[in-house]
Amino acid sequence: MTVHRTRAHTDTPGARFLDPVVLARIDNLDLLARTVVDGFLHGLHGSPYLGLSMEFAEHRAYMQGDDIRKIDWRLFARTDRHYVKQYEAETNANFAVLLDVSKSMSYGSGSVTKLDYARFLAAALAYFSHRQRDRVGLYAFDTELVEHVHPSVRHLDQVLHALERVVPGRPGTLAAPLFTVASTFHRRGILVLISDFYETPERIVEALRPLAGQRHDLIVFHVLDPAELEFPFDRPASFEDLETGERFPVVPDKLRDGYRQMMREHIAEVERRVLGQGAHYTLLDTSRPLDLALFRYLLSRQKAKTSRGAA
Amino acid sequence: MPIGFLVPLFLAGLAAVAIPIWVHLTRKQRSLVVPFPSLMFLQQVPFKEDRRRTLHHWLLLALRTLAIVLLVAAFARPFFTGGEALAVAGAGPREVVVLLDRSYSMAAGDRWESAREAVARELGDLGPLDRGNLIVFDQGAEALVRSESDRARLRTALDGLEPGWGSTRYGPGLKLAQTILEESEHPVRELVLVSDFQRRGWTGEEGVRLPAGTTVRTVPITGAAAVNVAVADVALRRDRFSGRERVAPSARLVRTGGDGPVEVPVVLEIDGREVQRRTVTLPAEGAAAVDFAPMPIGERHTRGTVRVPADGLPRDDARHFVLSPGTSLPVRVFTRAGASSETTLFLSRALGISEEVIFDVNTRPWGAGAANGLEPGQVVVLADVPFPHGGGGAALREFVEAGGGLVVIAGQSGGWSGNEDAWFGARIGAPVDRLERRGGRIGRLDYDHPVFQLFRGTRSGDFTGTRFYRHRALVGSDGAGVLARFDDGSPALVERQIGEGRVLIWTSSLDGVWNDLPLQPVFLPFVHQLVRYASGRGETLPWFTAGQVLDVSDARAMATAGLLDVIEEGAGLEGDRVVIDPAGNPVRLPPGGGPHYLHLENAGFYTMRQPGDAAGRPLAVAVNVDMAESDPAALDPEEIEAALAATVASAEEGAPRSALALQRANLERRQSLWRLLLVVVVALLAAETVMANRRSPAPRAS
Repeated sequence: MTVHRTRAHTDTPGARFLDPVVLARIDNLDLLARTVVDGFLHGLHGSPYLGLSMEFAEHRAYMQGDDIRKIDWRLFARTDRHYVKQYEAETNANFAVLLDVSKSMSYGSGSVTKLDYARFLAAALAYFSHRQRDRVGLYAFDTELVEHVHPSVRHLDQVLHALERVVPGRPGTLAAPLFTVASTFHRRGILVLISDFYETPERIVEALRPLAGQRHDLIVFHVLDPAELEFPFDRPASFEDLETGERFPVVPDKLRDGYRQMMREHIAEVERRVLGQGAHYTLLDTSRPLDLALFRYLLSRQKAKTSRGAA
Repeated sequence: MPIGFLVPLFLAGLAAVAIPIWVHLTRKQRSLVVPFPSLMFLQQVPFKEDRRRTLHHWLLLALRTLAIVLLVAAFARPFFTGGEALAVAGAGPREVVVLLDRSYSMAAGDRWESAREAVARELGDLGPLDRGNLIVFDQGAEALVRSESDRARLRTALDGLEPGWGSTRYGPGLKLAQTILEESEHPVRELVLVSDFQRRGWTGEEGVRLPAGTTVRTVPITGAAAVNVAVADVALRRDRFSGRERVAPSARLVRTGGDGPVEVPVVLEIDGREVQRRTVTLPAEGAAAVDFAPMPIGERHTRGTVRVPADGLPRDDARHFVLSPGTSLPVRVFTRAGASSETTLFLSRALGISEEVIFDVNTRPWGAGAANGLEPGQVVVLADVPFPHGGGGAALREFVEAGGGLVVIAGQSGGWSGNEDAWFGARIGAPVDRLERRGGRIGRLDYDHPVFQLFRGTRSGDFTGTRFYRHRALVGSDGAGVLARFDDGSPALVERQIGEGRVLIWTSSLDGVWNDLPLQPVFLPFVHQLVRYASGRGETLPWFTAGQVLDVSDARAMATAGLLDVIEEGAGLEGDRVVIDPAGNPVRLPPGGGPHYLHLENAGFYTMRQPGDAAGRPLAVAVNVDMAESDPAALDPEEIEAALAATVASAEEGAPRSALALQRANLERRQSLWRLLLVVVVALLAAETVMANRRSPAPRAS
């Protein structure tokens, strides 16, 4: 299993704003989203992520209130006038976050649970999309939809509020809620699915098929806690399934290697299946900063635009 | 080393060892619950089914299990049983009592050294937990060391020990050993008897009962049969020659061992100087008499010794005696006024013939003033005289009550004149004729009485040949002591103690008229015994036997010892007196009144000086060994062993077990292993606590 790791994320400019532990201290999700996005974009030029660019569209005169970071200082050097850069932005795209809020998402070996991490990510992506003039929406589900906000340019706040409201508490499945989303989401758009995918790859593919059949731009974020990836336990204990409540005696020393192997195989299979559906797949470790997630999102949007342009 | 348990029932607690094992198998899994997002993969990981029952944390389990095992063992009170099997008389600390015979026969040859070596071996074999006791005995017993574990102290007690002068008696030593063994708490008890086992020391009725479990061993001390010549006895025949008293010693020698006759020189020593020497031929296993020439007795407390050369048993090679000029006994014989001298002829003549006690006889008719000068210690004989009345009679009563002796010879005129029957307790009745069958005879004599003891042995005198033609009746003599009866049962000689004195009534006569007693050989010794007994004086002993005790504060005992100065002068036996024993060592007697006993332990002369009488001749007491100890006849030691083993208290049912239980309890108490085990348990539990707290906590879901 490979995890996309950066250099020490503190070396990346603005990376400290993307540390989930730091983000957990920000109570306001709106502020958090702005912090994440602006921090990411600000540090984008110095980031090690390659292949991502923001296409420059044109200059316009600086107006009071514009972000001074967008001032083209080279042009000012040449012209002694202040001009801001404007980038090419998607407009009128439907953007929705499909957030798994099943009980298993409440797990966290550290101070940040998977759901917290997914919430930060969803908020950041919604804010970013909103800045891109997209219509943002949210669908939170476990075995069924528990929260939904139809995509709209005016629904960012609703989305952020809904993100703050959701509480994991029930077991979850993918098939039924995603089918419901597919039947609701008629217009082609950008769907970001955030889940821990504790189902068989076959069931996952079946769940994604309706969405993939509607030719949405599907971006899958597979969120897992480091403990789920490494299984660092050493004391024999009864392991309790958060969703079913079932307990299972485990001697970690005996199971660790097998578990890791199975987890790797599962992740690889899920990635293969997801990619086979034409979606984008990214495995996220909740102990790592959000920059990778944002990078992969932006990259996927760039590819999608390119492919539409080519078409 | 085998281990036993005092309370093995507690070992059932070992079942508790299963508890930590069960806990390690189950409780860890149940107690720790780790929330996990999904068991999807955990349940799919292949593993062996028995992994769920695997024990973990082996060291922690071992600590807990070991702590339980040791705790259970501590309650079961373990102890090491040692290399020897536990038997009732087996392993365990011993109480060993060694009885060492120190009678003077043990001084023969090398017996004493052999005995000391045997005792040293017994004491040297004592274990570190054993206790030893050393008792020395002859006719008495003394515990030199009692319940001592320090072998050095036991050996020290043996050092310098020498045989005594006493004869053998096993009873006192065995009784003392019995006391020690009964008081001992040790489970194993042993009695070791080291002796030459002379037969005469064992009567078979010692009255010893040894406690249960006591083993008896004898260590016979024998040596080569030593040739022994002993001075068995010395007779001192007194007489008077030219107004001076003389004594002619005669010694009897006995030889044991050897072959053929031997010439033995015999020496007579007076006050430590050889005065006469004789040579006698002694056959093997035979005896001989040696007569020495008469010699005058000049001074009181003359010390004499008859000695033969030292031989295998030197302690019986000398016989000591103390001589003093004959002591006179004043005897006042009163007759009727006008009575012929024949009335007292036989009596006076008999009293005039004496060797040891000189009777100073004064015969006179009773009359006025006759009772003047009567003093206690004297004897008054009323020969055919009625008891005086009036002042004389009163004086006579006072004389008797003050300690004087009165002999009333009834005769024709004798008897009470007043109410003396009430004073004496019997009335002298009318004469009784015994003319049938040629007169009456003496029917019964009290041979246990001092008057007639002399006649107890065979050929010591026969009263049955005496004929009595007449005697007086004695009425109401139930309260008096009847010393002799006629054949018709009437009293012949009656005694009564009145005050400090004695009154004897002879109901016949001594003049040869009413009987022919004066013509009998027994008449002279009878008269002597009668008068001497009436005086209250004991026979002066020329010597004592080793082991006897003399109360130097008792005037009568001192008179018996020949120390008449004390009585005659009436000097009080007070003040600081020093007695020198035969070895020359002083034996200081405490001042003040009360009995002061002098133990005559050694043979030889004990000398004693009166306070303030440094220039005078010291008083002397001769002490000799008991000749019976020289009898070499030995007793089979196995006979004593068997006899003593039979006295061992019979073990009741369970007693062997109780002795064994005591032994086990004693072993466990001494080792106290349970204390050590508890300390180890505490240490194990402390280590378990530290180790258990060091386990890292499992991660939990938020």
